[in-house]
Amino acid sequence: MTPRKLLTIVVLIAVLGFGYYSMNAAPVLSDHDYTYQGGIEWHEDPDEAIAVAEEQDKPVLVYYWTTWCTYCQEYSDNHYQNEEIRGELDEYVLLAINLDEPGPGASLASEHEAAYPPQHVIMTADGEEVSRLGGYVEEDRFLEELRSGADSA
Amino acid sequence: MIPNTLTPGTLLIAIAAFASSLAAILLLYGYVYRTDELRPVTLVAASTSTLSLVVAHTYLTYQFVVGDYTNAYVWQNSADYLALLYRLTGPYANHEGSILLWATLTAVVATWTVYSSRFEGRGANLAQSISLGIVAAFATMLVAQSPFTPIEVAFPDTPAGFVPPDGDGLNPLLVDPWMAIHPPITFSAYALLIVPFALGVTHFVSLFRGEDSVFDEWLGSMRQWLRVSWLLLTAAIVFGGIWAYGVLGWGGFWSWDPVETAVLIPWLALTGSLHAINRYGKTGEYPIFAPASATLVFPIVTFATTVVRSGVFRSVHSFAAGGIGTGILFLLGVTGTTAIALPFTYWFLEAEEGSRDADEPWLSRRTVYHGAVLAFGVLAFVSIWGLSFPVIRNAATGVEVSVGQDHYNLWSYPVVVVGLLAGGMYALLDLRRRKLAIGATAAVAVSTLIAAFIAPSANWYLSDPAAHDPLVYRIVGSVSVLSIVPPAAYFAGSWIWRYVDRIRGVPSRTFKIRETGIVLTHVGAAMLIVAVSFIYLFSTSASVAVVGIDDAGTDPEPIVEESPDGEYEVHVRNYETVEEPTIEEAARSPEEVLAVDEDASLVRGEITAIDSIDGTAIARLEDSSVWLAGADDSLFEEGDEVIARGTVFEGETAATDAQAFVYTDADNMGPVSDPPRDVHTPRVTSHELDVTVYEGGERVAEGTLAEQEYLHSQMNTNDAVIERGIAGDTYVVGSIDERSASITIDTYPLANQIWFGVVLMIVGMTAVTLADSRRDQ
Repeated sequence: MTPRKLLTIVVLIAVLGFGYYSMNAAPVLSDHDYTYQGGIEWHEDPDEAIAVAEEQDKPVLVYYWTTWCTYCQEYSDNHYQNEEIRGELDEYVLLAINLDEPGPGASLASEHEAAYPPQHVIMTADGEEVSRLGGYVEEDRFLEELRSGADSA
Repeated sequence: MIPNTLTPGTLLIAIAAFASSLAAILLLYGYVYRTDELRPVTLVAASTSTLSLVVAHTYLTYQFVVGDYTNAYVWQNSADYLALLYRLTGPYANHEGSILLWATLTAVVATWTVYSSRFEGRGANLAQSISLGIVAAFATMLVAQSPFTPIEVAFPDTPAGFVPPDGDGLNPLLVDPWMAIHPPITFSAYALLIVPFALGVTHFVSLFRGEDSVFDEWLGSMRQWLRVSWLLLTAAIVFGGIWAYGVLGWGGFWSWDPVETAVLIPWLALTGSLHAINRYGKTGEYPIFAPASATLVFPIVTFATTVVRSGVFRSVHSFAAGGIGTGILFLLGVTGTTAIALPFTYWFLEAEEGSRDADEPWLSRRTVYHGAVLAFGVLAFVSIWGLSFPVIRNAATGVEVSVGQDHYNLWSYPVVVVGLLAGGMYALLDLRRRKLAIGATAAVAVSTLIAAFIAPSANWYLSDPAAHDPLVYRIVGSVSVLSIVPPAAYFAGSWIWRYVDRIRGVPSRTFKIRETGIVLTHVGAAMLIVAVSFIYLFSTSASVAVVGIDDAGTDPEPIVEESPDGEYEVHVRNYETVEEPTIEEAARSPEEVLAVDEDASLVRGEITAIDSIDGTAIARLEDSSVWLAGADDSLFEEGDEVIARGTVFEGETAATDAQAFVYTDADNMGPVSDPPRDVHTPRVTSHELDVTVYEGGERVAEGTLAEQEYLHSQMNTNDAVIERGIAGDTYVVGSIDERSASITIDTYPLANQIWFGVVLMIVGMTAVTLADSRRDQ
């Protein structure tokens, strides 16, 4: 056994350990039913979200995001942590669609022409679009959009 | 294949696919049966393949330059208003064209190896066969998904014979001069890597067959291939970084976007491989690892491309596509398996057990060097794994996890620190200063640990971990960034010392150039690492909202606003909008109106005759067969030069020789001096604003901010004002519309040390490459 072989083996074991550890330590963004953007539960299936919206008579907030979008990270870290915004979000049924893997949300994404993240679309429970917010906006502007959307929907 | 998809361009690619496959098979035959009698045919086949691809690429570029929108790819990625530069770069704006560029460059390199006298002997046939086989794989995927697909095939709803009057436009983010050189450089680097791959595979096959390896013979030239490739790849990453810095939304130079991460992996692998090969060339160590690592770089590049292009991984560049996505996955599978399986099998079955010299201490130069090489491998793995495990975990469990910057930053950081310590220690061991090396490394390691606890403010911590974050993130995240300084300084210092010691008294100029190159590369790397560690932690950001900017256009006095904390004062002047194309540029000549197929046209010309048909006034333009028409008979005046927009009708009356009428009215027409601007929608509207930023009464930045709105895209681009300084950059960018602007002032400390470090590395590597090529001669 040369020192180099020993070193290689130690590093290999460390790398395997790193791989296992980091994979399990990564924060969960979504499981089979929900997406967790900013720690809030969002629906993934538009049909499901619309059904809930009809039942509760609420508008739907559709959020188009991706894992690599830095502005989405901003939304998660700041906007969705803001108490006022959180309060306003309660007025909505939340639907988040990952643009890279839209799954059942694919047709809605193309209907909304959501080509890049982040995008927020407010729609009524019948699927009628109320307003659209492309890209990144400051928190107060976002709040304003949510308020006026909830009022008009 | 449906016959009408077989355009001349696709045919060229098909010829290349056939010719390169033929050449690969002939070369393989020549290798197996030890014959050179088919060489003339092989040479013809190889050059036919390259020539076809070069012509195909030139032809595609030509289609972009003239705006041939019958080709769907051209229509999707170009438009009339774009400047010539962006028509020349249009071919690699998207998927098919960039693979064509890669294939073409690969073919040039592969054919060069066939013709070059440097590669001779039995193994050469196999190496050349592998190179051309890769060209064949590229060409085949391009036949399946051609950049020459006619528009009516790509969009079956298109009426037969329809030619779009204008293109859909180029992705706004790519309308940037840096993007014009970034792809060719990247793909040149990638193309060069097929040679080390082919040589490496040949090396192991020869070993298995008990033949002489070609590796030793070609070592010198292989090392040069890898170095040139390294230089190009480094330049490509830097140009990409400069572009990302200028284009808002990507978070500065680097945000661990999958594309950025993906290109870093081959760079790390290449750097590690160069270290192993240098060692092999000098001492014969790494007899398996050196060729194996060189072999592996090409599959890693393919992996990077898979990440960027196949849609398996998530990224802004991904296009879930048919032929090319599958083709690249295939290429990755085959080359990756070969590059891993061959060396490993050889290692398990054939390799002789190396033994330690009796007098070799445990902490020897070799071991420390090996530690540094391993560090490159581990760094590459951190990035590979960060890209891969979300996909693996998602496929296995359906659970989606996020991989943030913390994953990459916090896992890589300790490896970089250890790598720097090992590198510094190696340089001292190389000076035969064993005791000093061990003592100094221990001392630096201790000061690194102490520095890890010194954090004058919260900015100094590597991250801001939350209580629920995993333990490792909480530990590494609460380390002070000051801890990078001792190992980096030690690393740079000991390499400089080694340099001074080595060149002392040596007369050879080549040797001196080579050593200077080596020291510059290492010092540049240390500088880069320190600057990169600090820049994001100490960047600051402040925003200012400015309203009423439309009044600023005429007012000589600037609008003055302060940032909320009073740190900056922003003066705003001269708001204006610039349209591209302007109505004058967009208006077609009468000939162009006849040539394109559109319902409504914007036309420009001098009225050369006036007439009327059934109460409709008509006016001839430029003595052509295009006439304007309008209900109001006082609308037209002979001799006026006008711009008019209107519905186009085919000419039907016998009274005039008109081929087309443009039916317009007073609102849609005007003289060239005062054209009807409202009827024209520009492709790009740029909102421009002059700003001056003061900090504590001192001017810190001045220039013109701009935000571009694109007609067919929801994405805007921004031109920032960057004021560079030794301590860092002041970066001003604004989101601007007709009424207001939201101006952000960011500071990036040590930004220019990043560029400086990279320049040192590039200069250093160039010096080493030149010195070695001089020595070889």
